[in-house]
Amino acid sequence: MTNETCSGVNTLELLHQLFASATHDASAAMCRWTSGLITLSLDEVREIPLESVCSEVDVGDDLLTMVVLSLEGNVGGVMILTFDNHNGRELAAALLGQEVSTTEEWTDIEKSALTETGNILGCAYMNALTRLINVALVPSAPYFIQDYGASVLQQALSTQAMTSEHVLICRTGFHRQGEELNWRVFFVPTDAMRDTMAEALKSASPGQFRQHEIHHDKTEGTALRPAK
Amino acid sequence: MVFSTVLKAKMDKHVGMGQIVLASGPTHLTAVLGSCIAVTMHAPKHETGVLAHVILAQSSGRNSPPGKFADTAVPEMIRMMEAAGAARDDIVARLAGGANIFGRPGPLQIGNANIEAITQILKQAGIPIKAEDIGGTKGRRVSFDCQTGSLTIEMAGSPARVLR
Repeated sequence: MTNETCSGVNTLELLHQLFASATHDASAAMCRWTSGLITLSLDEVREIPLESVCSEVDVGDDLLTMVVLSLEGNVGGVMILTFDNHNGRELAAALLGQEVSTTEEWTDIEKSALTETGNILGCAYMNALTRLINVALVPSAPYFIQDYGASVLQQALSTQAMTSEHVLICRTGFHRQGEELNWRVFFVPTDAMRDTMAEALKSASPGQFRQHEIHHDKTEGTALRPAK
Repeated sequence: MVFSTVLKAKMDKHVGMGQIVLASGPTHLTAVLGSCIAVTMHAPKHETGVLAHVILAQSSGRNSPPGKFADTAVPEMIRMMEAAGAARDDIVARLAGGANIFGRPGPLQIGNANIEAITQILKQAGIPIKAEDIGGTKGRRVSFDCQTGSLTIEMAGSPARVLR
C-alpha cells in the first residue's frame, strides 16, 4: 500500500482516522454491553516488517485467551480479541454477574460471554468499514481459542505475507474507568481489503473521518469531538 | 533487514517470520508457529543447524526473502549448511508447525499446503525427514538445539515433546 493518497495525504494517517471512527462505534457498543464499565481507544495503525511483527505488537509466546472473527471473502480480514487468562476470566465474570472463576477449564457460559463480546466489537468495526468501502462484509461466527498469541496472529497475517514484506495491523486497547487493561483487538486485513481501503481513501479528504475522533470522557468513556 | 543469519557465538535466538538462521554448537533457535512451519536441518558430524520460519508454500517467482516460501527456503538452507562445511549427505531435516488454528475450511487454511510443499521439496532435494510434528489445530512453540539437532515442541495444554 502506498503511503500517499492523490491529495498527498498519508494513507496511514487516514486509516488511523478511519479506525478511530470505527473504534468510537465499537467503544460505544462495548460501553453499553458492559454497563459503562469498559471503553476502547485506538492505539495504532501500523505497517510492520513481517519478521518482527509479533515482538513489535507485543504478542509474544505467552498463552492467551482469544476470540477470533474472520471476514469471509476476498475483501476480508481477521479480527482477534486477546486477553490474558486472568483478564478474560474477569470480563466473563463481570458480564455474567458472578465471582471470577478459579477452575482450570472455562465453562461454556464463560466462553459464550467472551465470544459475544467479540461479536459486538466485530460488528461495530465491520459497520464502520462497510461505510468506507461500500462493500458488504460478512463476518464469521466468533470463536474462542486459547493458544499462543503469536501463533494466531501469524496465521491471520499469512495472506498479507503473500505479497508484502510488511503487514498492516490496527491495534486497539481497552480501559476500565480510566485504567488500561491487558486486552487488545487486532484487525488484520487481507491484501484485497487493504487495496480496497486504499482505493476508497484516495478520494477521501484529510478531515473526512476526523469528526469521529475519539477522546476520553470521565463519565461516558468516549465521546465524539467535532472537527476543528 | 536481515533475513538470513549465521550465528557464531553461543546464544538463544528467536527466528521471526520468513527468517533463516544458522548456528553451530550449543545455540538454541526458537520460533512460535501457527500455520507456519519450522524447517530445521542438522548435520550431526558438524554440529551445525539451521532453522527457517516458512510462512507460505510457493514463491511463484516473487522476489522475497528466501525464508518466506518453502520453495526458496529449502535451497537457501542447504546452501548455508554447505557453506558452513556440512556435507550434503550428513544433513537431516525435522519439521514442526503447519496447524490450521482457525479450525475450518476457508482461505486462511494454509498449514496443509505448507506441509505438502515442504515435504515434496525436501524429497526432491534428497534431504531425509528424520522426525516431524505437524498439522492439528494448535500453535506450537519450538526450540532447536543446533548442537544435537533435537527439536523441543510445546503446545498449549500438552506436555513438551522432543523430536530427536
